[in-house]
Amino acid sequence: MSQSDSPHNQPIVEYRVDRVLDETSTDTRIVVLSRQDGQADTFPIWVGAAEGHAIKLALDTTVTPRPMSHDLIKSFAEHLGVAIRRVVITDVKNSTYYATVYLGNNGVERTLDARPSDALSLALRARCPVYITQDVLARRSTANLDAWLTKMDSKNAGAQQQQEVRET
Amino acid sequence: MITQMHLKGLMFDPYNNAYIVVLRDEEGSEMLPIWVGKSEAGSISMALENVSPPRPMTHDFMKSFLDAYDAKVLSVVITDLSEHTYFAKVHLMYGDSEYTVDARPSDAIALALRCNAPVFAKESVLTKQSSEELEQWLENLKPEDFGKLDSGEDK
Repeated sequence: MSQSDSPHNQPIVEYRVDRVLDETSTDTRIVVLSRQDGQADTFPIWVGAAEGHAIKLALDTTVTPRPMSHDLIKSFAEHLGVAIRRVVITDVKNSTYYATVYLGNNGVERTLDARPSDALSLALRARCPVYITQDVLARRSTANLDAWLTKMDSKNAGAQQQQEVRET
Repeated sequence: MITQMHLKGLMFDPYNNAYIVVLRDEEGSEMLPIWVGKSEAGSISMALENVSPPRPMTHDFMKSFLDAYDAKVLSVVITDLSEHTYFAKVHLMYGDSEYTVDARPSDAIALALRCNAPVFAKESVLTKQSSEELEQWLENLKPEDFGKLDSGEDK
């Protein structure tokens, strides 16, 4: 693996989970990330219904009677004294996004491969920043969310467009 | 007192639109049904069938998190099932210390299967849950209620 492939060296841009949109026609949800450096941009990621729900719970800071899966991961991190430092969307291959979770413990940084949905769910609970690499931003689908939303409004939601960017 | 339980199966409960994880003790004298959601059932099913998905599922990520720090899942214990609020504990060994972490039974079981950790149930949970009740329920199940998990049912 060449050095330039390493996500550590890639320029990154901060985003924040803005909202989770329902997709009534399918079993998926759209997680909309918004750019934080002043430039207006939204970045949609299609996730499964359960994954979208987990993100929505964290976004709304809903307190569930029992810990959900990502609460358990956060709880493990707390017990082990591991800090969840940041989450980076590092790659897109065949319309599937890849994420890396950065962990810190005793001054040692470790990275874990994750699906964006798990990474974002965890980031919201750990209140850590979310980044997208410039490379992913450059290579993302050209389908623009605003255009897509307009389509949604016009009732004839283009089902074919929904397939363009998704997590799995 | 705790009893070791083995996962005997996973089935669809059409009346509650949920899945049931069936745990049974060694002798088969005690049975413990645990109702779980669809995605939790999917995760448990993948671990049961040793399916490796192209991308890590939530519990695979959970395991890789623990593996990254050499934290070992010693066991999980189902500690209480009351009025749809189910309780479990995950017992972890990290460094020289043991930690007990509160979890839902579905997460605990999904993790235990991936870590080859034993699953136990507290005796109070077993006595609370009469197995006759479940057997009666099972008798009422139609054959078509089984195996829905694999056929990718939609709600």
